Amino acid sequence: MTPVASAEPRADAPDERAAAGERTERVRFVPGQPDMWVFVLFEALVFTSYFTVYVVRRTQSAELFLQSQAHLDLRVGVFNTLVLLVSSWSVARCVQAAREGSVRTALTNAYLTMLFGFVFLVSKVLEWATEIDQGFSFTTDEFFSFYYFLTAIHFLHLLIGFVALGVAVYQIKSPARRSQELVETCATYWHTIDFLWVLIFALLYVMR
Amino acid sequence: MKRSFEKRLVFVWLALSAMTLAQLALTSLGEQDSLAPNAALTSSAIVIALIKVRVIIREFMEVRHAPVLLCRLTDLWMVLTGVSLLGSYFVGMAFSRG
Repeated sequence: MTPVASAEPRADAPDERAAAGERTERVRFVPGQPDMWVFVLFEALVFTSYFTVYVVRRTQSAELFLQSQAHLDLRVGVFNTLVLLVSSWSVARCVQAAREGSVRTALTNAYLTMLFGFVFLVSKVLEWATEIDQGFSFTTDEFFSFYYFLTAIHFLHLLIGFVALGVAVYQIKSPARRSQELVETCATYWHTIDFLWVLIFALLYVMR
Repeated sequence: MKRSFEKRLVFVWLALSAMTLAQLALTSLGEQDSLAPNAALTSSAIVIALIKVRVIIREFMEVRHAPVLLCRLTDLWMVLTGVSLLGSYFVGMAFSRG
């Protein structure tokens, strides 16, 4: 999609094109910049390789991994997952509101996304502090090495996500520079953080 | 914001949350012997996680409106991830027993 410099809904807005597509033939569009999708697929493949190594190592020392996993608080994992899912929901609303030119609603949802992201960060730091306090650090055993590695690299991606949200807010605030494509690109990055966490949650907290 | 779109987003979020809670319920079902590998629980957890990922990509990331190539590429990655995770788990378990 091409950048626009107006608060008005675009005639070629994806939802309108999609609605028109239902009437005639389905019109398709890439949400955000294609470059971001290349990056998302690359990141997804990198994480798939991390996850595969983790599962392979886990099957070789099943008892040790199960014993260490029992020290994680599943409720914290569920809470963090729900918080990130809410943040994905709010950033999706932000994109839709920006598309319709509802600046106030778009900004509110962008700030809500930041708030939920911050709640996740605080919860994750508290969880790490609790684990370390109980004597489980990066070097304790192989399970905790994977636990800290996967959650820390995800944490880093989340911090970059705040920069992406900042860019989205900067874009939405001014009609002169507003680019719907850039807002969608930032949202795509944020959703990527969410779906990577969904897999991390299943592998670190749930699988046996 | 269009009401139908907003309703759809709420429904998607509720479905994703319900699947997360289903994963929580799965672990409590397998609590009898939490220190033993559980292939059924692991397979269910991975499959549910992949369904959640697909819902996020299709609905929140709007890939359902994207060109076919992007739909296929994201689906291909999910299949690859599913095969890698489940394959590594079952092959790894078979080797560790042998």
